[in-house]
Amino acid sequence: MSNRVYEILFIADPDLGETEVDALTEQVQGFVEKDGGRVEQVEKWGKKRLAYEVRRHREGYYVLIVAESTGPLIKEVERRFKVTDGVILYLTVRVDEALRKAERRKARRTLAEEKRRSRTRAGTSPKPEGVQP
Amino acid sequence: MSSESTNSSSESPGSGRSRPSFGGGRPSAAGGRGARPDRGGKRYFFRRRKVCKFCADKIDYIDYKDIKLLSQFVPERGKLLPRRMFGTCAEHQRKLTVAVKRARHIALLPFMGD
Repeated sequence: MSNRVYEILFIADPDLGETEVDALTEQVQGFVEKDGGRVEQVEKWGKKRLAYEVRRHREGYYVLIVAESTGPLIKEVERRFKVTDGVILYLTVRVDEALRKAERRKARRTLAEEKRRSRTRAGTSPKPEGVQP
Repeated sequence: MSSESTNSSSESPGSGRSRPSFGGGRPSAAGGRGARPDRGGKRYFFRRRKVCKFCADKIDYIDYKDIKLLSQFVPERGKLLPRRMFGTCAEHQRKLTVAVKRARHIALLPFMGD
């Protein structure tokens, strides 16, 4: 139940310095970890142009955090984002189910492919030469 | 929903035939105008059959963060188009729309206009 993986993507104010963004990231990370979550991966994309204007900003500093967490904890993280000034936009997405499904499809496909390959190989060999003892 | 699931499950055992596109040739016929069969001899004009890119490239998970991929299916202004435009299969079109909407939310893709 508790092993849900979420992607927490937020956009920090581009006017903040590098260190301030780092501090913000650390803050989010610490908060997730404090209440039983586990941060798996942190990715700083850096400053990117926004597709539309957000709070008078044309660009923003993207940070992605992948974390194992629970629903209520994510809710709390979102609440914190709302009251944090440096964050201009955020998005949290649960990804474990979709990824697991994709994994399963992949496995099924490779299995089917293997089956097909072995079948065609058996069918298209007319004369096995020099194999018989 | 139930017909969808039976469709995909019946597809996997018989997939030795061709690429995993749903429902045989029907979706692409709907894309052209093949509904009127009685018009003399010149009724077949072939349109290159569109194949779902996600099926062809075996992309199982459509990531909202992959703008390079998403922008191939969304025009400059950011409007989602019906699937007959790109020939995506129903399943992948559904996933694509979700991904695009997520990307819009986080300002990776525009909502409409500029």
